[in-house]
Amino acid sequence: MRPVLKLLKQRILQVRPQLPSFPGRAARADDPAVFSFNEQRASVMDSVTRRIVSRYRTREPQELLYLLSDAANTEVRRLSSQKDAEAELEISAWRKLLRGNGRMSHDERVAALERICARMSGDVAGNFDPRVYGIALRIVPGLLTGVMSPGTFPRELVQPGWPQLDALIRVEGPVERLRRLARLGTLILVPTHSSNLDSVALGYVLAREGLPPVVYGAGKNLFTNPIISFFMHNLGAYRVDRRVQARLYKEVLKGYSFEIIRRGYHSLFFPGGTRSRSNMVERHVKLGLAGTAVSAFTENQLDGAPRPVFFVPITINYPLVLEAETLIDDYLKGAGQSRYIITDDEFSQVDRMVAFLKKVLVLRNGAVIRFAEPLDPFCNPVDELGRSLSPSGRAIDPGTYVQQGGRPVADELRDMGYTRELGELLPSVYRRETVILWTHLVAHVLYRYLVLRTPGRDLFTRQRVRDASMRRDRLDREVGLAQAKLIELEQSDRVRLGRAIRSEPPSRLVDEALEAWSGYHSKPIAVAEGDSVRMLDPNLLLFYQNRIVHLADDLATPETVKAARIIAAMGEGA
Amino acid sequence: MSGPVSILGGGDFGWALADAARRSGREVIVWTRRAQEQAREGVTVTETLADAAAADLVFFAVPSPYVGAVARELGAHLDGSHRLVHISRGVVADKHTPRTLTQVLRETTPCRRIGALAGPIVARALAEGDASAGVVGSRFPEIVEAVRDVFAVQRLDVFGTDDVLGVELASTMVSLLSMAIGYGLASGLGPATLAMVATRGMNEAARIGEGLGARAETFHGLAGLGDLLAAFAGDGRPELEVGRLFAAGVTPAEVDKQVGARIEGLRTARWIAKYAAHTGARLPVLQILADVFRGRLRAEQALDALMAQEVS
Repeated sequence: MRPVLKLLKQRILQVRPQLPSFPGRAARADDPAVFSFNEQRASVMDSVTRRIVSRYRTREPQELLYLLSDAANTEVRRLSSQKDAEAELEISAWRKLLRGNGRMSHDERVAALERICARMSGDVAGNFDPRVYGIALRIVPGLLTGVMSPGTFPRELVQPGWPQLDALIRVEGPVERLRRLARLGTLILVPTHSSNLDSVALGYVLAREGLPPVVYGAGKNLFTNPIISFFMHNLGAYRVDRRVQARLYKEVLKGYSFEIIRRGYHSLFFPGGTRSRSNMVERHVKLGLAGTAVSAFTENQLDGAPRPVFFVPITINYPLVLEAETLIDDYLKGAGQSRYIITDDEFSQVDRMVAFLKKVLVLRNGAVIRFAEPLDPFCNPVDELGRSLSPSGRAIDPGTYVQQGGRPVADELRDMGYTRELGELLPSVYRRETVILWTHLVAHVLYRYLVLRTPGRDLFTRQRVRDASMRRDRLDREVGLAQAKLIELEQSDRVRLGRAIRSEPPSRLVDEALEAWSGYHSKPIAVAEGDSVRMLDPNLLLFYQNRIVHLADDLATPETVKAARIIAAMGEGA
Repeated sequence: MSGPVSILGGGDFGWALADAARRSGREVIVWTRRAQEQAREGVTVTETLADAAAADLVFFAVPSPYVGAVARELGAHLDGSHRLVHISRGVVADKHTPRTLTQVLRETTPCRRIGALAGPIVARALAEGDASAGVVGSRFPEIVEAVRDVFAVQRLDVFGTDDVLGVELASTMVSLLSMAIGYGLASGLGPATLAMVATRGMNEAARIGEGLGARAETFHGLAGLGDLLAAFAGDGRPELEVGRLFAAGVTPAEVDKQVGARIEGLRTARWIAKYAAHTGARLPVLQILADVFRGRLRAEQALDALMAQEVS
C-alpha cells in the first residue's frame, strides 16, 4: 500500500467514529443490557484495572517485577520490529520502564501497573451504539445483497427483508429456547471458526432470529477496513491485538471478558482461537475466555446476585470457504506452527469477496448455522426455564458447583477444573453438531481414492500428485455408500446432515460439488473429463474432506478401509 | 472440612476406608447390599443408597463393572456440591477405547468434582496402619485435600496429580501386570524375567496412555510402577492369586467364577487386545499377557514368544 494511504488509514483508525448526538431512540425495558453499555464503559475499564492491581498489590513483589519486565520486554521487541509512527511513540516509555523496573519500589511498580492497565483496557474496550445497531440491521444485508447483484441494489435497499440473503444462511437448533434463555441469564456463544465471515454471518443471524447482540473480541486486523471498523466499534466488539504477547495484556483481555460477563452482557468468542487452518472441526480449544465465564458465574454467586450463564456451542458450516486456499496452504506449510495472524487473505481482497458471494448466491446455499443444546458452566444441559439438568433429568442448582459446606466459596483452581471439563466437552459437541454438506462428502470420497492410489506416500508427497483421476461411476457408487452410512449415523444422533445429502441422489451430489468447485477458487478442484473425474487440486480436496476426517473409519468400505485409516489417523494426529 | 464421609461397598477395602475415616474423627456412612450387623461406633450401615448422599464426600469402593449402575442410582440424589472418589482398578471397555470410571461417574451423576485414588494401598495395610502412600488423580485440587483429610491420622501420604487418565490407566494396567507376576512366580520364572516383563509391560502401558492423552511419567510413579512394586513384595492382593490359578491350569471361565468380578485384569486383557488390533500399536508384552489370560497361550509358549520379539 502507498505510504500516503497507509498514513490516512492509520489516522482513520485513531479516531473513534461516533454518530452525531441527535436524540436517539428511547430506551425500553426489554432492551438487551448491551444497549446501555456505553454508560458503563468507564466503570468496566475501571474494574478491570482495579482487579488486576489489587491482585498484584498483595502478591509477592517479585511477581509484579516479572510481570512488568515481561510486558516491557515483549513490547520493546514487538515495537522495534514494527517500525512505524505508533511504535516510535510507545517504545521509549517501555524502554524507560525496562531500565527503571529493577530499582522501583513495590508501590512505584503498582502505580506503573495501574497506568499500563488503564491504557491497555482503554485500547481493548468497545462501544455500543443502539442507533448503529439499528442502522446495521437495515443496511448490512442490503449492502451484502447489493454487492452480490449490483443491478438490484437500490430496490433491495428500500425493501424491508432480504429474501436472497435469508435464503443463503439457514439456521438450525433450539432458537426459541435461546431467546428465552437470553432473558434469564447471560449467553456465551462459542462457535466453530473457519472464516472471517463467521462473525458477520453470525451477527446477522442473531438479529434475524430475534436473538440479542453480543459482545466479542475481534482481531485488530479486522479493524483495518474503516467501514467494518466503524460497525465493530459501535456494536460492542472489543479489540484484540494478537501481536501483543505480554502476559499482562492477556490478563487485561481476560479481565475485560470477566467484567462484561459478570455484568450480564451476552458474549461471543471462538474457542478454536483462530480459523481452523486444516478445516478440521476443532479438536482442541483455548480455555482462557471460557474460564472468565466460569469465574464470572462464581463471582456473582459470591456476591449473592446469582445469574445463570449459558454456553451455546454453535457450528458454522460452509460448502465453500472464502479463505480456503490461504488456510490450507498455511496448514501444509506450517505443520503445527501456522501463522496466528494472516492479514493478506481473501477476506481483505474485495474482488475475491465479491466472487465468493456471487458463487454462493448461484449455489443458493451459503451456510448453515447450527445452534447446539445450551449448557451451564458445568457441562449440564439447560431446559426451557434455564434450569440445569442432571443426567437423570432432575433440575439442579448450578450454584452447588461452587459450594462447599453449603455456601459459595471462591476457588480459582476449582473453576479452572470446570473450565477444562468444558474444554473437553466442546470438541465432541462440535463433531456431533457439524452439518455435513455435499462438498465435504464428495471431497472425502475423492481424497480417499487418491490415498488408495498413492500407497506408502506421506502427506506432503501425496499433496504433490497432480491429475489423479477416478472413474465417475465408481465415484458415484462410493458417494452413495458413504451417503447411506451418513444417513444411518444421523439416525443414531452422531452426525447432522445438510438437506442435499439427505435427499439428493449421489450423482447429483457429485455434479453439485464439481459445479461449486469451479469458478470461485483460483482453479477448479476437480473436473469431469470423459467418464472420469480428474483431481486438479489435492490441497483443497484435503481441505474440504477434513471437515469429516473424524468419520473416515465409519465411512470406509471394505476396499477403502486402509486408506480410510490413514485419513482417520491424520485427523487424530492433528 | 470434617463432615461425614460415605463409603459405597462393604468389601475389605470399603471397611478399611471406613475405619481410617473413623480414626480421623469423621462420621461414616457405609452403604452395602449385604446388610451385615457390623455395627461399629460412629459408622452408619445402610442398604439405602440415597442415605449416602448425606455426606458431600463419597468413596466408590465397588468393583468397576458395578460403578455405573450404583452411580446412576445414587446420582438421582446428588448435586454439584458432592465430591466423588473411586478406588477401582479398572476401566470400562467401550469398543476399542477404554472409558475410565471417572468418565462413568461424570456421565451418570451431576457431580464434576471427581477423583481416582490409586497406588500401593491395600486393605490389609490400611487396617494394620502400615506406612504407605497413594495418589489421587483429579482436576480438582480440593479432592486431593479431601482425601488427605480422611487419612489424616493414618501413616499414609496422599499425593495429587491432574493426570486423571494416567492414574486410572496405570492402575488398571497394574492389575494385569500383578496377575502376570502371580502367574510367573507360580510358573517358576526367575526374578530377572519377572522384572523384564514388569518393566517392559509398564513401558507399553505408558505408550498406550500417551496415545490416549495421559502422561508417561504417571505410569512410572505411585499409580503404576509404585503400585506394582508392592505386588512384587507380596502384598497379598487378589490378582496374584488369580495369576497362580492360571498357572495351575485353571481355565479363564473358572477363574472368573472362583474370584468373581473383583479381578479387573481379565477385562483389561480383553480391551488391550482390541485396542492393539484397532490402532496397530506394537505392544508385544501386553499382547502376550492378554493372550495368556484369554487362555490362548501357555507359559512356555508365552516366554518363547516374548523372547522372539525384537526389543523396541
